[in-house]
Amino acid sequence: MMKRYDMIVVGAGPAGLSAAIEAAKKGMHVVVYDENAKPGGQLFKQIHKFFGSKEHKAKIRGFHIGEELLAEAAELGVEVVLNAIVIGIFPEKEVTVKVEDHVIHVKGDTILIATGASENMVTFPGWTLPGVIGAGAAQTMMNLHGTLPGKRVLMLGSGNVGLVVSFQLMQAGCEVVAVADAASRVGGYGVHAAKVARCGVPFYLSHTIISADGEDCVTGVTIGEVDKNWQIIPGTEKHFDVDTICLAVGLSPMSKLCDMAGCAMEDNPAKAGFVPTVNEYGETSVPGIYAAGDVSGIEEASSAMIEGRIAGIAAAARLGFISEETCKEEAAKQEAALEGLRQGMFAPGMRGKQITETEEGVEISQNLLKHGFVAEEEIERFPGVTHSAGVHPVIECTQNIPCNPCQDACPKHCIRIGSNITALPSIDPEKKCTGCGMCVASCSGQAIFLVNEDCGDGTAEVTLPYEFLPLPQKGDKGVALNRKGEKVCAAEVVHVRSAKAFDHTNLLTMKVPKEYAMKARFFREEETA
Amino acid sequence: MRIQEHPILGTYEKGKLVSFTFDGKPLEGYAGEPIAMALKNAGVMVHRYTRKEHKPRGIFCAIGRCTDCVMVVNGQPNVRTCITPLEEGMEIRTQYGVTAEQPGGAAK
Repeated sequence: MMKRYDMIVVGAGPAGLSAAIEAAKKGMHVVVYDENAKPGGQLFKQIHKFFGSKEHKAKIRGFHIGEELLAEAAELGVEVVLNAIVIGIFPEKEVTVKVEDHVIHVKGDTILIATGASENMVTFPGWTLPGVIGAGAAQTMMNLHGTLPGKRVLMLGSGNVGLVVSFQLMQAGCEVVAVADAASRVGGYGVHAAKVARCGVPFYLSHTIISADGEDCVTGVTIGEVDKNWQIIPGTEKHFDVDTICLAVGLSPMSKLCDMAGCAMEDNPAKAGFVPTVNEYGETSVPGIYAAGDVSGIEEASSAMIEGRIAGIAAAARLGFISEETCKEEAAKQEAALEGLRQGMFAPGMRGKQITETEEGVEISQNLLKHGFVAEEEIERFPGVTHSAGVHPVIECTQNIPCNPCQDACPKHCIRIGSNITALPSIDPEKKCTGCGMCVASCSGQAIFLVNEDCGDGTAEVTLPYEFLPLPQKGDKGVALNRKGEKVCAAEVVHVRSAKAFDHTNLLTMKVPKEYAMKARFFREEETA
Repeated sequence: MRIQEHPILGTYEKGKLVSFTFDGKPLEGYAGEPIAMALKNAGVMVHRYTRKEHKPRGIFCAIGRCTDCVMVVNGQPNVRTCITPLEEGMEIRTQYGVTAEQPGGAAK
């Protein structure tokens, strides 16, 4: 007899697992199929702290969120079948699954398709050479298998994936020679760009790859500036010796299974591709078949988890495990959380729009969009950047993104964001900073510094987040780098703090001449400048 | 190259160190890791050459989707080395077109 489930979930990533958890909580019998040998989708490759607020698991690193989801699913008795490829969805929700060398046939009263996305690529002479890899491949090699993708890397793409992976490449020990993007402005969060730029990585916007060199593998790359018709401007070519070219040029929904199941589909640029049309619960045009996560529109993993939960709740109501009222109530809560994530300058509805000022009316840093860092003459206008005697936070958060852990992190309530999660953090001048550093460690964008602008002896102290090895020690001498990653002055490490609560974000305090208090933003251990 | 210690992840869990061969040459890797990772750490970049134009291919997506990294494993061609776990004694060969035979010559 064909095995029957209340819900069949395709894909054990953030959306699929969250849906399975929610459905199982309501008493449903759930199975999750995933084609990979390990569950979690891409979560286990995400080693940065997530954005959002508490309810979105902000400031928790992606792989820890993956561990939490798996533990929760296991506790609820969700069956997760790995190395299992769903190869067909037929009328009456019959599903065929290839497991090892045979095909099984199961039936679901509801189905959730959470197959995620695949990476886009671009072509150029030499793009098929070994050494040209997807950004996802770089993450897989480094973060799952402890393998360096290369020694010297050029990143193509300045969206969040390109920026986050560039930083991860440096954390793993690679040199990133440049971030290039054909777009004229940095696509990802400014804070992600800024943490890459201050390490000395140059940004080349309006630049794309002309060609990759090499016979049997990559030995170099040439990029060039593009005009407004995306044509290379002669004479703008720049060559880099690299062994790796990393492509982070977007994701596309992997929605074939939805199409195959007969769901109405649409080509929707706001969702980054060919997606099933879904209602507010993620239900497709086929009653009882849901879609959640990147398969129904490219967004962050945080959104995928909430979409999954909503689909799980709706499926439970459909089968009568919960009442319509309970469904509405619970889904409304999740939708409010989702709405919170879809605010700000990077919200799905904002794609392609030119933004000139923040919600607060502060002029946007054009240098950040052009070069990946906020210029010295721009930084003072943001509300998180203030001056006072003694140690105080300097928050270089200059774009409206849905994120607020810094507000809760400060035990003295020095930092204000308010109820609008995308508001720029500001400093309460009445409250006294104790220099505890919780805000520095809590900032997923690594945009908070503690600064004592005048220590009284002609020096200043700057405390910065530091997530590299080897970890400098007290007394180490080196150079301070500015926001652009240029050496600006000599620096000495006076303090390095590591605590469990900081979750591997070390707090490095360096002493610099006081005129560099608002310029020095990174430390490098080398000969003094 | 292996990452010895990572600032966020610490050290990596590895399987037993095992021997395998690449085009007849003995190499070592960790059991259970993808074949492609063992090869990458041994400095092998080219996994196969295309049939018509004899162009080199290696790891591209590393998650079993693009099929650029396929090789001949224990005599079986078209094995996606980025998602196939390494086992003791595996015989891995560069793939030419769809075989381990070099055009115009015998297998290496």
